[in-house]
Amino acid sequence: MKAPSTGLLTGGVIAMTAVVLVLIGAPHERTSPTPHASSDAGVPASSVASGGIRLTSAAIDLPADDASFPGGGGSDIINANCTGCHSAAMALGQPKLSADQWRAEVTKMREVYKAPVDEADVGAIVQYLIGMPGQLSGEQSGRAQDPAPNVPSPRP
Amino acid sequence: MDALNSCMAAEISRRRLIATGLLGGVGAAVPALAQRTVNLHLPGGNAERTLTSAFPSKCSMILQRTRPPLLETPMGVFDRSVFTPNDHFFVRWHWADIPTAVDVETFRLRVGGHVARPLSIGLAQLLRLPRVELAAVNQCSGNSRGFFQPRVAGAQWGHGAMGNAKWLGVRLRDVLELAGIKPGAVQVRFGALDQPVVPDGPDFAKSLDVDHARNGEVMIAFGMNGEQLPLLNGFPIRLIVPGWYSTYWVKALNSIEVLPHADDQYWMAKAYKVPAKPRADVAPGAMDFPTVPINRMIPRSWMTSLPEGQVIALEPSIPVGGIAMGGDCGVAKVDVSSDGGRTWYRTALGPDEGRYGFRRWDGRVPLRRGTNAIMSKCWNTKGEAQPTTPIWNPGGYMRGNIETTHVVAA
Repeated sequence: MKAPSTGLLTGGVIAMTAVVLVLIGAPHERTSPTPHASSDAGVPASSVASGGIRLTSAAIDLPADDASFPGGGGSDIINANCTGCHSAAMALGQPKLSADQWRAEVTKMREVYKAPVDEADVGAIVQYLIGMPGQLSGEQSGRAQDPAPNVPSPRP
Repeated sequence: MDALNSCMAAEISRRRLIATGLLGGVGAAVPALAQRTVNLHLPGGNAERTLTSAFPSKCSMILQRTRPPLLETPMGVFDRSVFTPNDHFFVRWHWADIPTAVDVETFRLRVGGHVARPLSIGLAQLLRLPRVELAAVNQCSGNSRGFFQPRVAGAQWGHGAMGNAKWLGVRLRDVLELAGIKPGAVQVRFGALDQPVVPDGPDFAKSLDVDHARNGEVMIAFGMNGEQLPLLNGFPIRLIVPGWYSTYWVKALNSIEVLPHADDQYWMAKAYKVPAKPRADVAPGAMDFPTVPINRMIPRSWMTSLPEGQVIALEPSIPVGGIAMGGDCGVAKVDVSSDGGRTWYRTALGPDEGRYGFRRWDGRVPLRRGTNAIMSKCWNTKGEAQPTTPIWNPGGYMRGNIETTHVVAA
C-alpha cells in the first residue's frame, strides 16, 4: 500500500485538531488574557496539540520598573551598582539590618552572583542601605504575630 | 473559576483589607486608598506593599519586587477555593532574564548526560506520552520569611508565596526511560530558559536524587488548573515535585541532565541549604552548623476567613475557616483556638482533592470582647503536628509553626 503523502498527513492533523477544537471548545474562551502571538500582530499564534490538549505560543511584555533608590547621599552610587540586576524594592523592603548584615549582602552579590560592583563603592552602598527609610527605628511599627514566650503552651 | 470572577473577587478582598486598616487603625488609611497597598503585618514594620495588576495574565498581586518578578498571593484568595487560580498564583524568579516569549513549535526539552540515548523532545512528542494529573501545593522555601524573629534578609514574603493547582503532565520517569539512565547515575539536574544577567553568574538549576526523579510522582507539567501555564509560572513546561518545596519545581524547564555524581553547583551545594537539625531550627544568630539541601515540606495551616486586625461585631461565637496542607502527605485533622491556644476545637475537613494539595477546614470558636488570638493547628497523616514555637535559621526557610490571626470583637 502506498504510504500517505506528507500533505495527507498534514491535512489529517489539521482535521483532527479541528475536531478536537470543536469538541472541547476554544481553549482561550476560558483563559485569562489571551497571550498575543510572538509573530506579527494579526497572525494567529502557532500551536501544538495532541490528545485533547493544545499549547499555544505565548509572549508577554513585563512592566517597566522605573522606581529607583530615592534621595541624595549615595543614591547615585547604589542606583548605578545595584539596579542593573534587580529592583530597588528588593532592598527597600528589607527589615532593619545591621551594617555588618548589609555588608554581607553586598559581598554576596559581588562574590556569589558576580555583580559588577566596584569594591571601592561597597562602603558607600552600605552607608546608603543602613539609612533607608525602612531601616530607621521611627518607621518600625506593626505587630509580632507569634505568641509571647510567657503564653502557656496549647494542649496537644 | 474564570478570570473575570477571580479579578472581581480580588477587588473585593482588597476593599476588605483597606476596611481593616480604617477600622482597626492598622496601617495608614489614606495612603492605602490612594496607592492600593496592603500591610503584611511583619514584626518590626516596613510591611506595606503595593498591590499591582501590571503583570500580564495576573490579577491584583502583592508586589514584592518588579525585576526579577516576586509576586505574592493575597491571603483572601485562599479563602475562596483550595485551588489557587492561575491569575493569582505567586511568582518567583531568581534572575531578571526570564522567558517572555516561547514558540511551542520550536521549543525543545533536552535530555542528556549519563544516559544511553540523548534526546531533544518537542512539545508535540511530550503531549503524546501517558498523562497524569495531580493536585499539589507549590510553596516557596522562604514562604513566611517576613515573620522570622529576629528578621532575616531575603524576599520578605508574608504567607502568600504558595499556591495549589491541579497539574497535568507526564511522568518524569517516562521521559528518563526514553533516554535510558545508565548504571551509576546519582542525581538528575534540571535547567531552564531563564539566564543570569551578568557574565559568570550561577545559572539556576536544581537536582533530585535519581530514585526520587524516577519515583513516578515527579512530573513534567504542561497544564495548570485546566489551562496552559502562564509564562510567569513556567510556560511551556515545569517540573512538579509533590510534597517538596518550590525551589525544585523548575519553571520553563528545557534541560534534564543525568549526573554520575552529586550536583556540586551553586544552587544545590550552597543555596537553599537548611540546618541539619529537627525542624531546621538553630539559635538566632547561629551561622556555623551542618546543612542539608531543603527538601520535603511540613504541615501548615492558616485561618483565611478573616484578615489580621479585622474588627467584627461581638457575638457569642463565630464561624472560622481556612486551608491546611500536610506537607509530603495528607491532612489528618485541624483544630482551631480563639484564646491563643489554651482551648482547642475540632474542625470539619472539606473534600480531599489529593494528599499533596490544600484541604479546606471549617469550625466555630467563641469570641470575647477585645482582641481574640485565632490559631489553627494541623496534624498530617504521618502524625506530625504543627508546633507552637517558631523556628529560626539564617535563610528564613521552612517556617511551619501555628500561625495567629488577631480579630477584634467590639
